[in-house]
Amino acid sequence: MEIYKRILKEALDKGFQEAIVRVLESERTMTKIANSEPSVVQHWRSLDIGLYLVKDKRIFIAEVRGLDPSGTEYTLNQLFSIADKLRESELYAPLPEPGKPVEVGNLVDKNIDKYIEDPSSLAEEVISTAHEERIDYIAGMIDLKHEKEYIASSKGFEGMHEYTSMESYIRAFAGEEGSGQWSTCSTKLRRDKLAEMARIAARYAVDSKSRVDIEPGIYDLILSPMVFGNLLDYISYMASGFSILTGMSMFIKNKPGDKVASEKFTLIDNPHEPELPGSRGFDLEGVPTIRKPIIEKGILATILHNSKTAAKFSASTTGNAGWISPEPWNLIVEPGDYRLEELISEVKKGILINNNWYTRFQNYVEGEFSTITRDALFFIENGEIKTAVRKIRIADKLGNILRNIDGLTKERYDVKWWEISYPTRAPYILVRGVNTSKHTI
Amino acid sequence: MLDLVEYAVKLASDLGASYGEARYHGINGFTIYTRNGNVMGSGITSRRGIAVRVVVNGALGFAATPELTRDGVRKTVEKAVSLAKAVSQLMKKPLRQDDSRLGRARYSVVARKPFDSIPLDEKVNYMTGLWRNIQGSTKEARIPVLTVTYNEWTEEKIIVNSDGGYVESSIPRITMYYNMVVTSPAKGSLQRWEQLGGSGGLELLEKWRLHEKLPEEVGRYEEILFKALPPPTDPVDVIVGSEIVGLVVHESCGHPSEADRIMGREAAQAGKSFIKPGMQGSRIGNEYATVIDDPTIPGSYGFYLYDDEAVPARARYLYKEGVIYEHLQNRFTAPFYNTRSNGAARAMDYASEPIIRMANTYLKPGDMSFEELLESVKRGVYIKSYMEWNIDDERWSQRYVGLEAYMIENGELKGYVRNPVLEVTTKSFYSSIDGVDRNLEFYAGTCGKGEPSQGVPVWFGGPNVKLKNIRLRSTVG
Repeated sequence: MEIYKRILKEALDKGFQEAIVRVLESERTMTKIANSEPSVVQHWRSLDIGLYLVKDKRIFIAEVRGLDPSGTEYTLNQLFSIADKLRESELYAPLPEPGKPVEVGNLVDKNIDKYIEDPSSLAEEVISTAHEERIDYIAGMIDLKHEKEYIASSKGFEGMHEYTSMESYIRAFAGEEGSGQWSTCSTKLRRDKLAEMARIAARYAVDSKSRVDIEPGIYDLILSPMVFGNLLDYISYMASGFSILTGMSMFIKNKPGDKVASEKFTLIDNPHEPELPGSRGFDLEGVPTIRKPIIEKGILATILHNSKTAAKFSASTTGNAGWISPEPWNLIVEPGDYRLEELISEVKKGILINNNWYTRFQNYVEGEFSTITRDALFFIENGEIKTAVRKIRIADKLGNILRNIDGLTKERYDVKWWEISYPTRAPYILVRGVNTSKHTI
Repeated sequence: MLDLVEYAVKLASDLGASYGEARYHGINGFTIYTRNGNVMGSGITSRRGIAVRVVVNGALGFAATPELTRDGVRKTVEKAVSLAKAVSQLMKKPLRQDDSRLGRARYSVVARKPFDSIPLDEKVNYMTGLWRNIQGSTKEARIPVLTVTYNEWTEEKIIVNSDGGYVESSIPRITMYYNMVVTSPAKGSLQRWEQLGGSGGLELLEKWRLHEKLPEEVGRYEEILFKALPPPTDPVDVIVGSEIVGLVVHESCGHPSEADRIMGREAAQAGKSFIKPGMQGSRIGNEYATVIDDPTIPGSYGFYLYDDEAVPARARYLYKEGVIYEHLQNRFTAPFYNTRSNGAARAMDYASEPIIRMANTYLKPGDMSFEELLESVKRGVYIKSYMEWNIDDERWSQRYVGLEAYMIENGELKGYVRNPVLEVTTKSFYSSIDGVDRNLEFYAGTCGKGEPSQGVPVWFGGPNVKLKNIRLRSTVG
């Protein structure tokens, strides 16, 4: 795979002063399931080319999908011809010196290749495992991928990152109202994780069959890793220097060292966890990745940076590039010391929430948001689950949620799905005094 | 390119597919990003490839490739067929397509002012000028951030299927996004994000008048920050502005009317629908509740004349005078309803399967003027725009938090209201409508659905709508 070096040479010969070329070569099969049968099986063999180019401090990004080499040549010509008509980027900073990529290792499982060719037995297993409970049907998907990423930069960096991934989520339905959802992810083909996912989703569906209405108000909430994982997406997005610069962060008013959360809460970005598919040894600027706390014992510890946002903040890159916007790799919440039953026993009046979706902000700077629950919810009174209840919204400030964390389980789950963008390892989490809301008519 | 697409369809049949479909799908786009009057960067997107869908033994297979050669297409068709065959053993109900009359046509949208009719530096000046224009629009408040994104793109398709469909199309579109924050140390902050979009060319920029609109908005947002009062706690009449009405009909009529969602195909992703099979003809609201989805509106962001299964597009009456009337169908859902597709299948790009999507969804306007609508309210709230919203996964309980909102007293606007929350069920909304004005306005969005998630361009809109007797909530802020 020398194409990336050739394109880099072409870009520099053309007259761009700095360049990074990224070539993604992947093979992927996704089986979608609905009504406990496959609704479609999708396959992609892709070659995606990304270009980061600089001429006289003007920054250009190009995405070219296609194997026709004239495509990148055309794009380079097109960008070069317009370069002088743009202005210098306010984000411009010279590319950083590349470092030696970290050897993460153990990110490829050849077993996955076999199931990319024919995933039918995995689909069958997931369906049959879920149906061991008295459910009606399941929906979901199993996504298998093998990807190689090649990066070359004008700073002399050359790197190759290869990994496989298994991502899956299942939603089980039982009776008129019962439903439960769970997800999993790994760099390996993990049948045990698929089976655990199917069982948890099915169990939640069965347990939430008979529901009653609940009045909105202030409750202690136990958020499952699925729910908290979704909120972590927004928390980590807001911890990006780019989000702060563009007014999309509640941390706009904060600096590292500020207390922003309960001291019981620590969130790590760990790109070196071989089990999680976001792991990698170098970022998109060729900088070695590092494990770092984003929030440590309640203190904002790290703003995620690439070289450009770092320059704006007079800081150093954290190895999280993103050519424009820095991003986390794997989000890991440090565990607590509770078992789930013990966490429930800490609640006088509260709700345990299996899943949520549609998180939207009135104002990112203030952290004002709401999200609507879906799947199983259980009302907790005096330390015991009393009954399954119907949907309700969490409608509060994200800052309040972080500050009011009061307990976490020891056991954590690796989750990723539609509403969780980054591979996430999270426990169940108890948040005190959260505002909930519901339709008035 | 047509020969490759036709080759794919023929090969699918030769390999035993009962249905074969191939789509060349190319997207070429150019983007400029600015922040506070400075260019951050610009970008080019070029995605070209061929998507193949096949039905084998009643199972659906999809494969896509960017390799635009006979060999690349052959491997892709073989993969789609072999995967469909492999999972077909798990199928309980084999898929079949309807017998829709399919198009054989070519069409294109012709921009009045093509993308290259204005030099690039003028486009840059246009964008950076927006920051200059809002300076001086506030008295005390600061504007720490204004980001603006400009995106022009052309979508080209060649669609061929084994039932005789053949459609070539080319559609240019422009979309812009802006995000602004207005702050005051004493009063906190307020944020506004909006997307604009349409099919056509640079004439859209003239229509959007952003250089006039943004300074006016900033001034109002400062007033809201300093002067707005909490919403009333007792039930009042609420005039819902067309921007919110558009979102309401998109979320609580368009999405639940997607036949694939009703049949459970998206149950683990975007969810199911409160509309169950057999509910066509059931009442969902009063006589004002007529919602139409029409892909054929000229200039619209969701414009098309044939869908990605080559079915001719037409207006669909999803709710008609308060009754659940017609669902959005593709050729594979229609047989379950003993009907034919109404042309709702669309894919985001070559790497995406065509699924049922809305195009341009709107509530039918009435005859009144806005002033007449206002005069009919003794005490109430007018919510003109929003930021936060969401709806549950069956499209029943929905929430919209107003940004620009006013008290109404005796038919007149009196002062600002801070963050009024309209939180209602779908049936309550459509049953509480007490009047609609004649001002039909459309708003642009990128609608997400599917796995992998596909964002497609849509418009949603409506007139201003009066709701009777609604209890509003406040936010925690």
